[in-house]
Amino acid sequence: MTLTASRTTSPTAPERRQKPPRKPLNLQGKITGIIVTLIVIVQVYPLAWLFITSLRTEKDFAGGNPFALPTTVTFDNYARAFATGNLGLNILNSFIVTVGSIVVIVFLGMMGAYALQVLGFRFSKLVRALFLIGIIVPVQVALVPLFVDYAAVNLLDTYQSIIIPLAGFALPTSIYLFSSFYEYIPGEIYEAASLDGAGPYRIFAQITLPLSVNTMVTVAMVNSIFIWNDFIFANTFVLTDDLKTIPLGLQNYIGAMGKIDWTATFAAVCVSITPLLLVFLVLNKAMTYSLASGATKG
Amino acid sequence: MLPQRSRLSVLVFLIPPLALYGIAVLLPIFQSLYLSFFDWDGISPMLFVGIDNYVHMFTGDAVFWIAFRNTLGYVVICLILQLGGALIVASLLTLLRRGREVVKTLYILPAVISTVAIAFLFQRIYSLDPEGLINQVLEFVGLGHLQQAWLSDVSTVLAAVSVPEGWRFTGLYMLIIYAALLAVPTELEEAAKLDGASWWQTFWRIRFPYIRPVWITTTIIATTNALRGFDIPYLLTNGGPGQSSELLTTYMYKTAFTSTNYGYASTISVFVVVECLAAVGLIFLLLRRKADA
Repeated sequence: MTLTASRTTSPTAPERRQKPPRKPLNLQGKITGIIVTLIVIVQVYPLAWLFITSLRTEKDFAGGNPFALPTTVTFDNYARAFATGNLGLNILNSFIVTVGSIVVIVFLGMMGAYALQVLGFRFSKLVRALFLIGIIVPVQVALVPLFVDYAAVNLLDTYQSIIIPLAGFALPTSIYLFSSFYEYIPGEIYEAASLDGAGPYRIFAQITLPLSVNTMVTVAMVNSIFIWNDFIFANTFVLTDDLKTIPLGLQNYIGAMGKIDWTATFAAVCVSITPLLLVFLVLNKAMTYSLASGATKG
Repeated sequence: MLPQRSRLSVLVFLIPPLALYGIAVLLPIFQSLYLSFFDWDGISPMLFVGIDNYVHMFTGDAVFWIAFRNTLGYVVICLILQLGGALIVASLLTLLRRGREVVKTLYILPAVISTVAIAFLFQRIYSLDPEGLINQVLEFVGLGHLQQAWLSDVSTVLAAVSVPEGWRFTGLYMLIIYAALLAVPTELEEAAKLDGASWWQTFWRIRFPYIRPVWITTTIIATTNALRGFDIPYLLTNGGPGQSSELLTTYMYKTAFTSTNYGYASTISVFVVVECLAAVGLIFLLLRRKADA
């Protein structure tokens, strides 16, 4: 949790950087800096507050000034968070679902894009239009039908029951991202490979796939955030505690009659967002780039 | 196209993704359409009722219309926060000399947090007893008389459940718009400034038209995302108090999994799908036409 402690001070960092003015007359720049800093503080303050609260004692939290730093820092909340819930198991389940879905999304997305963009066929436009539907249509439409279908084939309460819709709804964006990259692979490469006698399978394995690594990373990162945090599919298709992912596990902290141990809950929330936050901060540049490109191409 | 492709190889690559997509997305859409003509609780035999569900939804179900109105309100608030906020912050960011990367990272941070975590956070931010963050701040700045329980007041609850969703994704749209703004050629803006255009004029006459294609895409993404908004209202208020924060999606979910009325829930689903398609078409028409004018 050393990271979270330093995190809470960072909203002020841009302000500090703005202060030594290089050009004393640049008033507009200064004002912009202050406005941006204020906006960023408002944007990030709830999260900082979340982390600070997870380190407060209950008494300190109950009678608190929202801006005060905790009088005593305690890790009891974290101990209680782990004792109350099943955080370890929840994280493991989230991990399995996320990795499973990402593998499916990346590989099927690559295959689909290869068929549509590189191989090409007569009805490829129609198939592309078909995939477009999945981007527009809200995921809730699949809940009742899938619930009924899963019940019929005994898939309720399995990892697959969450992975199938998560991967299915993410597939169109993945295919479009790979397709728009494959557009830029020059045809001469493929022609040369064909002349050397390589068929479509070998070309896929030895040329297209190795070239796709960057796009694979982009697709994986964009989707990992949404899948790690998925609530609706897990909430609908998971029925037992054994398979609960992190978002569901967090709900266990609402005790009987809605009474909530807030500081412990906030500690659990901090634990649940830490893996993704770490990945995000380490891969910061690539991640922001992926999110922006993933969203626009979608 | 590859010169040596066979029909078989196309199928080998196309069938697996298409099969998954078919099972997870296409088939459920058709199943919803089919189920919407039945009265079915999932256990007893399905009863064909024709268009009765649709007739009931449009003429006999007050909750449906409340949920529809709330959904529109939810979308408007989300769009203002997400697109308006994104445009302002992105524009300010282009003026900033240093620290752009830090601002970008911090600003997008809420997108990484799960909706359940956000719901917990905002439940505590809005609460009155014990005093939550907003009410504490109000008292701190001397506006104590404005304190209230934001989530149990029917006049504030819809805004209260919309704000977290707007807050969560504004960073994402900011990144997209910022990238588009950076691509605006500086010569154009400098030429305009030389001609005496104000910052405001440069923005509306040059920058904004230049990023219009990206703006259309972003508006479509934000709208479809807001129309499928579910998690935060469901977790924060479950549509309450009464129906004052009920969205079509939460109403559909409760109809399906609390009242186990699969037929009618599917009817609402079909409506939500049509609504999304209509919204996308509408945005396209509106923003395209303006561009031509």
